[in-house]
Amino acid sequence: MSGEVLLTTTVGSFGKPDYLQKARNANARGKLGDAELVELERKATEEWIRRQERLDLDILVDGEMYRGDMVAYFAERIDGFKIGGLVRSYGNRYYHKPIIASKVRRPKPMTIDWFRFTQGLTDRPVKGMLTGPYTMLDWSYNEAYRTRRDAALALAEVVRQEAEDLQAAGAQYIQIDEPAIHARPEEIDIAIEAMGVVTQNLDAKTVSHICYGDFAAIYPRVLDLPVDQLDLAMANYDYRWLELFDKDPFTKELAIGIVDVHSHETESVATAAEGIRKGLRYVSAERLLPHPDCGLKTRSVEESEEKCRVVVEATKIVRKELTRHATPA
Amino acid sequence: MKTTVIGAYPKNSDEDQELRRALHRADRGELDDAGLAKVFDDTTRRAIAEIETASVDVVNDGQVRWDDLLAPFARAWRGAERGPLERFYDNNTYFRQPVITDAIQSDGQTLVKDFAFARQAARAELKAAICGPLTFATLTAEDRHYRSLEDRTLAVADALAAEIRGLGRAGAKLIDVEEPALVARPELIGLARAAFDRLAQAGVALAVHPYFFPADKILDQLAAFPVEQVGIDARSRDTQALEGLRAFKQTVVIGIIDARNTRVESERESVGLIESALRNLPADRLWLSTTTGLEYLPHDIAVQKLKALVAAKHATGGVKA
Repeated sequence: MSGEVLLTTTVGSFGKPDYLQKARNANARGKLGDAELVELERKATEEWIRRQERLDLDILVDGEMYRGDMVAYFAERIDGFKIGGLVRSYGNRYYHKPIIASKVRRPKPMTIDWFRFTQGLTDRPVKGMLTGPYTMLDWSYNEAYRTRRDAALALAEVVRQEAEDLQAAGAQYIQIDEPAIHARPEEIDIAIEAMGVVTQNLDAKTVSHICYGDFAAIYPRVLDLPVDQLDLAMANYDYRWLELFDKDPFTKELAIGIVDVHSHETESVATAAEGIRKGLRYVSAERLLPHPDCGLKTRSVEESEEKCRVVVEATKIVRKELTRHATPA
Repeated sequence: MKTTVIGAYPKNSDEDQELRRALHRADRGELDDAGLAKVFDDTTRRAIAEIETASVDVVNDGQVRWDDLLAPFARAWRGAERGPLERFYDNNTYFRQPVITDAIQSDGQTLVKDFAFARQAARAELKAAICGPLTFATLTAEDRHYRSLEDRTLAVADALAAEIRGLGRAGAKLIDVEEPALVARPELIGLARAAFDRLAQAGVALAVHPYFFPADKILDQLAAFPVEQVGIDARSRDTQALEGLRAFKQTVVIGIIDARNTRVESERESVGLIESALRNLPADRLWLSTTTGLEYLPHDIAVQKLKALVAAKHATGGVKA
C-alpha cells in the first residue's frame, strides 16, 4: 500500500458508465439477456478497479456495478422477501421498497462470486460489501415478524452466513452497512444485538458505514456496535459530529467522509485536507481512513472519479505534513 | 364519521411514471415550465380522482408539487432556502433542511394557485395543508438570523399564518397542519402551543396532525390546542391514546390505516379501533384517516389502503352517535 497511515478508501458504490446504464435498462425491458448484462458488469467492474489503482486508493471496492439499490439487491436474493412497487426516496428518486412477506432464508451465497472476481483483478485489498440486518429491516416493510427485533435477528442470521462466506473467500475487510441505525435511536440495542450475530465469528476487519441521520442521538452508544471501524459522513455535516468526541472519546477506527457526495461540484483539495486534519485531532493517523461521505452511485463516472481524486490528493498532502512534523529518530 | 386522507399521495407508480419522466426532461432542459406544469396538473387530477373514487369524504390535492413537507415554504419565503439533504424522521425518505438567511417573510400566496386548481378538480369536500411551525423550525439546518429556536418557531408561525389567511381567502374551510415535531419533540409542546395560538388567529379552521410517533405524552395539551381537529395515530405504534379521548372537545381524526406498512388492515382490526374510540367520543366528533401520507407506500398498496379506510367506516355503520 502507498502509505501506512491515512489509508484511503471509498464507501462502496461508484457511478455506472453509460453503456452499463443502457444495458441495465434494456435488460429490465427484456431486450438484453442476463449473460450479456453480466459481461458488461464485469467490464465496468474491471474499469473501476483500474481507476481506483490509478487514483492510488488503498482499500478498494467492486463499485457495485451489478447492484441497484443496497437493500433490494439482497432482498431479491433472500427467500421470504418480495419486491414492492416504486416508492419515492427524495426529490424525483424512486426505489422498489422490499416487503418481508414471510420468514427469511438465504438459499445460496449472494456476493461471493463477485468478490472472487474482483479480488482476482488486483493485489490491493477489496472490501466485501453487505447491507446490515437493521437497515435491511428498516428499509423494508415488515409483514412477517411480530416484532422488529425478531425480524432484525432473523436477517442477521442471513447476513452472518454471507459474511462468513466472504471471509472464507479471502476478504480482509468486510463492511456491513447500517445507514438506518439512527432512524429510531430507541432501537439501537436491536441493531447492536443483530450486528453481534453477524460479526461473532469474523476475524476479518469489520466496518460499518453510517450516514444521513442524527448521529448525536446514538452516540456514544454506537461505540458498542461490534465492528472495528465506523465509516461516517462528515463533510455534509460540516464535521459537527467530531465535537461529540470531546466528551466521549471515539474508540474505533474512523473512516472519515471528507467530500460531500450529493453535489455535482467537489470540494477543493485544501478543504478536504482540512477535514482530515480535523479528524486527526480525535483519531490517530493509523486509525483514520479518508474517503467520500457516502456511496457515489448517484454521481457520474467522471464525478465519482473527481471526488476520489480529491480524497487521495488531500490525503497525500496531510501524509507529507505528518512526515515533516514527525520527530527525526 | 367522515373519512379523510392526510399528507402526500403517490405521484408515480410502476405503471404510470409520467411525472417522474417529465421532471427528468425538465432537468435536462427538454421540457419547459408550461409543459411541466401540465404534467403536475394532470397528476394532481389523477390523485384527487383516485381518492374520490375510493369514496373518501374529505380529500386533499395529494401534494403532488411538494418535494417534501417543508419544500414549498422554504422555496417561496424570503429569508429561507433549501439546504442539505437529511433523513425525514424515521423514514427512508429524505428532505432538504431549510436554511434561514434573513427574517422570514411570506406573501401568503405560496399554495393559493395549487388550491384553486384542486378546487376545480375536486368534487368532494377539499381541505388544504401546510407544514407545522415547530417541524419547520426544528428541522432547520442553519439559522443566520434568529437568535433562538423560540424566535425562529414564532417567525415561522407568522409566515404560516399568512399562508392560512391566503388559503382562507381562496376558499379553504379546513387546513391540516402537519406537525410530526410535536410527537418527535414532545418537550417542546409549550413552544408549539404558542405558535399555534398565532396560526389560530388567522381565522380558518385548523387540524393539527402529529404523526410517526405516539402522542400519549402530550394528549392533555393537545386537547387544549386552539384547533378544530386533532389527528391521533392509533395504528402504527403501541399507544393508549384512544383511552384518553374523553379529554378532547375537538373533533379527533384517528389514524386507523397504517400508511407506512404494506400489510392491509382487516376490517375487523379497524372496526376494533373505531369502537374503542367511540367509547370515549361521540361519532359526530370522530373522523377516520390514514396514519400519515400515503406516499410512503407503493401506489397499488395506497389504493388498497384507501379502500380499507372506507370499508372500515361502513363496517362500523351500525354504531350511532
